[in-house]
Formats: sequence, C-alpha cells, structure tokens
Amino acid sequence: MRSPDAIVIGAGVVGACSALALTNAGLKVLVIDRGPVASGTTGAGEGNILVSDKEPSPELTLALRSRDAWFEVNADIDGGFELEDKGGVVVSRSEKGIADLKKLAALQRAAGIDAQEVNGAELQKLEPFISKNVEFGVLYPQDAQCQPMLAAAQIMRAVRKRGGAFVQGENVISIDSINGAVIGLTTDKSKYSSPIVINATGTWAGEIAKLAGSDLPIMPRRGFILVTAPAGKIINHKVYDADYVANVASGDADLQSSAVVEGTASGTILIGASRERVGFKNDLDVSILRQLARQAISLFPVLENIQLLRAYRGFRPYAPDHLPVIGEDANVKGLWHAAGHEGAGIGLAPATAELITAQITGRKTFMDPTPFSPARFVGANHVAS
Amino acid sequence: MHNVVIVGGGPAGLSAALSAAAAGAPVLLLDSNPRLGGQYWRQPDESFGDQGSQHFDLETGLLLINAVKARKEIEVWSGAQIWSATHKDGVNTLRVLVNGKEKIINTGNLILCTGAYDRTLPFPGWDIPGVMTPGGVQSLIKGHGVLAGKKVVVAGSGPFLLPVAAGVVKAGGSVVELLEANKSRRWITSLFVVLENLSKIKEGFYYIKTISEAKVRARFGYAVVAAHAGVNGELDSVDVAKINRNFKIKKVRNVKCDVAAIGWGFTPDTTLAGTLGCKQIVAKDGAVVVSADSNQQSSVAGVFVAGEITGIGGSELSMAEGVIAGLSAAKFVGCKVEVLKAHRARRAKKQRFATALINSYPIKDGWKSWVHQETIICRCEEVKLKDLHYAIDELGATDSRTAKLLTRCGMGMCQGRICGRSVVDLVADQLNVSPTDTDRISAVNRPIITPISLGQLAAGE
Amino acid sequence: MSPAEIKFYFDDQEVIGLTGQSVGAALLANGDRILRKTRFNEKARGVFCGIGVCFDCLVVIDGLANQRACITEIKAGMKVQTQAGADA
Ligand SMILES: Cc1cc2nc3c(=O)[nH]c(=O)nc-3n(C[C@H](O)[C@H](O)[C@H](O)COP(=O)(O)OP(=O)(O)OC[C@H]3O[C@@H](n4cnc5c(N)ncnc54)[C@H](O)[C@@H]3O)c2cc1C
Ligand SMILES: Cc1cc2nc3c(=O)[nH]c(=O)nc-3n(C[C@H](O)[C@H](O)[C@H](O)COP(=O)(O)OP(=O)(O)OC[C@H]3O[C@@H](n4cnc5c(N)ncnc54)[C@H](O)[C@@H]3O)c2cc1C
Ligand code: FES
Repeated sequence: MRSPDAIVIGAGVVGACSALALTNAGLKVLVIDRGPVASGTTGAGEGNILVSDKEPSPELTLALRSRDAWFEVNADIDGGFELEDKGGVVVSRSEKGIADLKKLAALQRAAGIDAQEVNGAELQKLEPFISKNVEFGVLYPQDAQCQPMLAAAQIMRAVRKRGGAFVQGENVISIDSINGAVIGLTTDKSKYSSPIVINATGTWAGEIAKLAGSDLPIMPRRGFILVTAPAGKIINHKVYDADYVANVASGDADLQSSAVVEGTASGTILIGASRERVGFKNDLDVSILRQLARQAISLFPVLENIQLLRAYRGFRPYAPDHLPVIGEDANVKGLWHAAGHEGAGIGLAPATAELITAQITGRKTFMDPTPFSPARFVGANHVAS
Repeated sequence: MHNVVIVGGGPAGLSAALSAAAAGAPVLLLDSNPRLGGQYWRQPDESFGDQGSQHFDLETGLLLINAVKARKEIEVWSGAQIWSATHKDGVNTLRVLVNGKEKIINTGNLILCTGAYDRTLPFPGWDIPGVMTPGGVQSLIKGHGVLAGKKVVVAGSGPFLLPVAAGVVKAGGSVVELLEANKSRRWITSLFVVLENLSKIKEGFYYIKTISEAKVRARFGYAVVAAHAGVNGELDSVDVAKINRNFKIKKVRNVKCDVAAIGWGFTPDTTLAGTLGCKQIVAKDGAVVVSADSNQQSSVAGVFVAGEITGIGGSELSMAEGVIAGLSAAKFVGCKVEVLKAHRARRAKKQRFATALINSYPIKDGWKSWVHQETIICRCEEVKLKDLHYAIDELGATDSRTAKLLTRCGMGMCQGRICGRSVVDLVADQLNVSPTDTDRISAVNRPIITPISLGQLAAGE
Repeated sequence: MSPAEIKFYFDDQEVIGLTGQSVGAALLANGDRILRKTRFNEKARGVFCGIGVCFDCLVVIDGLANQRACITEIKAGMKVQTQAGADA
C-alpha cells in the first residue's frame, strides 16, 4: 500500500466509524490496532444509542445527529450489526424523580427530541412485564440499539472493501513528528508514514497523546454488565430508572448503578451498567452484580426467574468534564483526537467521525466543534480525581 | 470450623478428604451431584439395590464413600453447586447454591477435584436427539437404571468406549457397532507400563469379556461421520466411515440405530480453578489443565488440585493425586504430616499409564473434513461452520475469541463447554495457523461457573 | 428393597418414574426423547451429555424454563413441558 493519507489508531467503534467517514471522503486510510477489531471498550459496551440521557447541550446535538447517522451507516454498508430503532423508556418512582424527569423531557422537547410522557396504563402497554408500581415514564422513540462489536467489524469490512487497510496486532509505540507536525508513527513491528494520525484509542488515548509529547486527560471508569440466558420477548424497549441520568452526569468516584434493561436480537437480556472510578481494576465484584440484579428485578419482577449467564466489565474513557475530545491536538499538528466518549461512545461514534472528517478535509461541520476541542484542557488543572 | 474445603466427590475428592481427615484436618466436602462418587462411581438412589454389575470396581468406590460418610471430621454437602468463586489476598470465596439457597464459604485452604466431561466433536447431525456422549449413556445406566435405547452404536476414540459398550450390554441393550477411530494398539507394546498397572489391564479384559460374550466386535479405524433423523425428528441412522490414519473418510455405509454414543476422550473442567486464578496450561493433546506442583498445589498458594483437572488420567491416577493433595492441604493448615515417597511413586506409575493411553488415542486433524458449511458447531446458539467462516473471511477475525464474539459461537447456555475446544481448532484451521495457548485458555474462561437465576443472585449478600 | 414409583406429567401426559431418577432419565425410559425445540431453527433436541454440562435437555418445570432435565430429580406431581425456544 502506498503511504496512507491518514492513519487511524484504534479499531473500536470510534476508530471504525472515523475510518469509514474518511474513506468515503476519498482518503486512503490505514487502521492500526494492537488487538483484533473491537477488542477494547467497544467489545464491552451495551450498544445503546441514546438521546434520552442527555440534557440540551453540545453533546445532545452530537447525539441527535449521531442517532440518524447510525441509520445512514447502516444503509451505506448494508447493515449486519443488529441496528434496531426500538425506543427507550425512562421511568421514575419517586415524586422528586418524576418532577425532574418531566422537567428534563420538556427541555429535551424544546431541543427537538421526541419525548412523550406516559402514565401507568400506557406504560403497561409498552412494557407488559414492567412492575406495577411504576406509574410514570417518558418514551423516547429515537433511542436505538446495535451490537457494537458487529458494528465495528462490519464497518471495518466496508473500509477494507473500499480500499482501506487494517493492520491488527501492532502496538503503536511512537508518534513521529518533525517541527511539531506529524509525519507518521512507529509500531512494535514496523513504521508507517502519513501526515495525519487519528487517535481513536478510547481509554488509552492519553498514552498516545503522551507518545506525541502532548497531553490528554482521559481516565477509565469501570462498568459491569450482566447478560442473561435467552429469554424470549419480555422487554420491548430499553428501560431504565431516571437515577441513571443522574449517575451519568456525576463525577463521584463511588459505585453507582441504576439498571438499564433491554432485550437483544439474540434473545438475551442485558442489564447494565455500574459506574465506578477504580482505575483498570479487573476483579469480578459480585456485590455489583447483585445490586444490578436487584435493580433490574425491581423494574421487571419476571427477571427473578431468568438466569444470569455472563458478566463482563469494561472501562469507559472519560474526560474531567465528561465530554468527548474531538479535534486536532493543541500542540502537535496533524494529530487528531477522537476519544473520551465515556458511556456513550457507541452512540456518538458516527457523528464524531463526521465531525473529525469535516475538520480534517476542511469542509463545513454540522455543528460548532469548539466544545469538544482538545485545546480546552490547555492550562487547565485537570488532575481531577 | 472447616480447615480444608474440597470441591468434587469423585475418586480424587474422596481420596483427598480421607487423607486430609486422617492427617487431622477437619474437612468440608462439596459436590453438585445428589450422591457421592463422581463420574466413575455414579450410583442411583439406594433403593435400586446392588449396582455391582454395572461397575468393574464399585467395591473401592463404596469403601471410600462409606469411609467418608463415617468420619465425623468430614462434613459432606451434596447437591451443592458452586456458581461463582473469587480469590483475594489469600482468601478464596466460594458462592454455593445448596437446594436453591446461597451459602458463602471463605477459605484459605482448598482442594479442587472438579473432574472432566466427555470431549465431543461436531459432525453433521450431532444435534439430533439420540446422538449422545458415551458418558451420558453410561450415566443414565449407572445413575438412573435407564438404557437410552435398544440399538446402540458406540464410537469415537479412547479406552472409555469399552466400559460404555459393556454397560449397554449388561443393561440389556445391543451394541450394533463398536468403533475406535484409531488403529494403534501401541500401548500394549510397552510391557513395563502394562506390568506395573495390572489392575488396569484386568479392568480392560473385564470389559472385553463382557463385550465378546455379547458377540460385539470392536472395529478399529472407523468413525461415525454423520447422523440422520427419521420422520419423528429422532435419530434413525448414522453414517459409519472407514477412515485413514489422519481421520479422513475413505468409505461410508449407513447403519440403523436408536442411540449413537460418540466421544473423544475427556475435557477437564477447570472453570472453577480458572476463576480463582490458578494457572492453566495446555497439555500435549490440546486440553487445558490446571498446573500443579509435586504436592498438587496450584499456582495459588493454599489451593490444591487433583484428578482429571490436572490432566486426563483415569480414576486410579485421580485417587493417587487426591491422596497427595489431601496430605499437602493438611500440612498446609498445620497438621504434622508428610507426603511419602510411596505416594509419589504410585502417582508416577499411574501417570505413566495415563500418558501411554493418551498417546495411543490421538485425535487427528482429519475430523474437520467431516464438518460441512451447514453443520451446527455451537449447539446452544445454533451457529454453523459457515458463520465462523464469515467472521474470519469477511469480518476479519484473526483469533477464536473474536470469531466467537462476532458469531455467538460458544456463548450460549453451556458457556462454550461443548463447542469451545473445537471452535479453537476450526478457527485456526480456517486461518491456516496453529491454535495458541492463549486461544485455548481463553476458551475455557467463564466468570460465572454455572447459570444462576437473577432472583438467587439478588437474594445473596 | 426396590425403588418407589413416582408419578409426574410431561406435556400433560402422566409419566411414571422411579425414586431418584432425573426428569431426563424417566422420560427416556418412557420413550420420550425430544425435550425441546431450538429457538432459531426449531430443531428437536434431547439429552446429550447426561451430566448437566451441555444444556441441551432444557425443559420447563413447574413453569420455570431452562431447567436441565438430566440433573433435575423427579418429584410427585411435577409438571414438565417441552421447551419451545427460550420460553419463559
Ligand atoms: C459496561 C459498559 C457499557 C457501555 N454501554 C454503552 C452504551 O450502551 N452505549 C454507548 O454509546 N456506549 C456505551 N459504553 C461506552 C462505549 O463502550 C465506549 O465509549 C466506546 O466503546 C469507546 O470506543 P472507542 O472506539 O473510543 O474505544 P475502544 O473500543 O476502546 O477502542 C480503542 C482501541 O484502541 C486500541 N489501542 C489502544 N492503544 C493502542 C496502541 N498503543 N496501539 C494500537 N492500538 C491501540 C485498543 O486495542 C482498542 O481496540 C459502555 C461502556 C461500558 C464499559
Ligand atoms: C460421564 C462420565 C463417565 C465416566 N465413566 C468412567 C468409567 O466408567 N471408567 C473410567 O475409568 N473413567 C470414567 N470417566 C472418567 C472419569 O472422569 C475419571 O475416571 C474419574 O471419575 C475422575 O475422577 P475425578 O475425581 O477427577 O472427577 P469426577 O469423578 O468427575 O468428579 C468431579 C466432581 O466434582 C463435581 N463438581 C464439578 N464442578 C463443581 C462445582 N462447580 N460445584 C460443585 N461440584 C462440582 C462434579 O459434580 C463431580 O461429582 C467418566 C467420565 C465422565 C464424564
Ligand atoms: S443432557 Fe447435557 S445438560 Fe442435560
């Protein structure tokens, strides 16, 4: 292969989507990952494509675009990754929770989201097995779902079919630059030259920035997911407690969890997800599994008799301000970051790819990318927690 | 207070319990089966009476079982299934379901004797009701007094086919074919191994006698390569092939039968040991086993391992290892006891026999040519060979773990216990590489040892 | 001593098994080999490994799906049903 126009580091969902967008924009792209496709956090994600959990903000604008972009990607590459526009239902059982949820829904509606309040009877119709004590919820028809590993793999397949290349099993150990501008990179096995390098290494993006002599404050936030035995069609939407929204926005290091329950195309039910900041801690914490199970059963009592088959954990990449980092490095020209999407990287991947591709190719962006700029950390004291 | 906790009540676990107790250590013995004995000495409810005729050597088993029951230092929990286990700072936490209720055991001293299950290979029709494992056919007879069907084909490879065929005959069934895929009877030629293991040879002759009395003749160099269902959806016949040294098909004929018992040796169940962090290694035959030192200690201090999980070797090697594990664990908790030279010598002798046997029954690569694109590989998730090939050729999977995650092959209810080992081989084959140890070990890792209902999970502390 | 007979039901038909037998064993003795239909291809499945490892013998027992017939002991009056797909 002649020297690529751009090299993407990372074959997670963000790297894959970026590679596809760049390829579609006419660039010759090389993707490099130290492991197989989606072997990072993408392989541990749940595949929710959510607009419901975001307050009006630049992130919501990104999410709204991304949600539609997923269906465009689906059409572009001919699917194969279980994309389903099943809708989400957010519920609350406390007076305060209901009030907050109503307020959030009103704000979201003003921002263009379809958010429909539903009462007890309507809820039972949407979700026949939901606990009878759930009497209020908001239906978000735009929430969608996919199988993230398949998504990344199918997208990489399209990239390869369209002339891109994918090198697996090579660890990037240096970003090479001259006079503050990228000229390529070096892996543990070989050397590649390219004026553009996209850092899509998720939770490990800070390490790549460091290799380039720059700095990016991305840290891991651990999460567990429970997977049940196949259980037939019990749950129609993705259903979660409003507390989840509060958790997503929280910076608290302690364990937080609030079950997000959903069925999948294969028949298993996914129950996610806990959030805690314990570094890359790997052990199986059964107390977290129990807490998720209790919360899920409290939403859907039928789950009591359904078996747990697997539990797995992943490490969400997060920045101190909980916003993704999308844009050119503040110090190194030609090094672009697309990382730090925390618990929404799957949902936000295709819009992220669009944003970074437009910036790289000098085209008009669909939104102002400034809030996601890596420059926002320059000079900031981001030691955080 | 229990000083030593033992998981598994088969030959290894029973022997370990007795030797630890005799050395002065109180023992808690856990087993998921309703009755002690493990796979080899599986028995039905007591009311079935004497089961001697279904066993070569039930006396030894009963001796051990009764001794365990009689010793008051040994507490037995039958019907106790460990669903999760974790290790932290020298303490092993076992989460056990006993009659649907969860109990938690924290211990620093553990002996794992979780045994093995039949190794199977996929072939067209292997999911038809009536196709079974030899162990399955035998466990129905031994444990329930039930013969799975009248006309039985016993096939595959390994010495275990003999007791299964003999068991079918004794239970009143007819063995229409007894097929050993390998031609070699090399192990007989090692006179030394034979002489030092006469009990095993006697056992072999006992089965052969039973079988020949029923006019069953074993055929070497044959295998069942396909199964066919009748109109009722149940097994109607199998294709029996003459195969070459490498298991490639030479000539096929069809044989009617009710049951086909097909097995290819055993796969150790190292799941529990794996969740505790015990080092697993790949044996010469590709099986993942738990690594043990000369005292049967695993890589985790205080966790001892014995029996089939350290390598397939049969009941006598399991017992020899169990005795050493029991003594070592007792010593670990402070009992004044030593593993004797004689113990090690006995284990070495049984190990030589086991090695000779394993070498005589290799599973050759040619089996993969029996599998077609449409053949189910993962029975649980109904994943076909062509799905695996798509994941490799189109989606770019370059290892079996990725191929599995992209196809759900091995992600169903059995958690990859049945197909996992074959998937590693089939994926490597398609990629034209040899499976790595990482591939093999990753295929037997499962954080949840056995499914548990969310209600039970939620109810625990 | 000989084992006592135990009466239970398979798809509403009465079946007699013996003390200590598993559901799977008692059904095989009764000539019932098909225990479930798979959820994608609706293929028939029955007892395969016989020792609780393969999860192919799944049946619905007293309303609970995904129970392994080969390791669940029969009880008088037990209601066992063929499992269709993932039936819950
Ligand atoms: C439990 C859990 C549930 C989640 N649920 C959802 C959800 O429902 N919806 C949602 O939108 N998001 C969810 N997420 C978040 C989502 O999974 C992540 O935000 C997303 O996967 C990040 O994708 P990525 O491509 O940026 O990173 P990754 O998928 O981690 O990809 C980074 C890649 O970079 C490679 N790499 C790293 N360093 C190097 C190097 N030096 N050289 C070469 N390659 C390198 C890695 O091997 C890896 O493959 C969840 C996360 C967790 C943990
Ligand atoms: C079905 C079958 C039939 C066999 N029949 C013969 C035969 O006739 N002749 C012969 O020589 N060999 C036979 N074998 C081979 C047999 O494995 C060994 O000969 C011998 O039984 C091994 O002894 P062991 O103590 O290592 O394990 P096993 O006898 O397998 O005992 C292991 C015990 O651990 C229990 N266990 C495992 N995991 C857990 C857990 N997580 N929680 C609680 N309990 C657990 C199991 O229920 C089992 O009772 C058979 C194997 C199988 C699978
Ligand atoms: S037959 Fe394998 S689990 Fe029951």
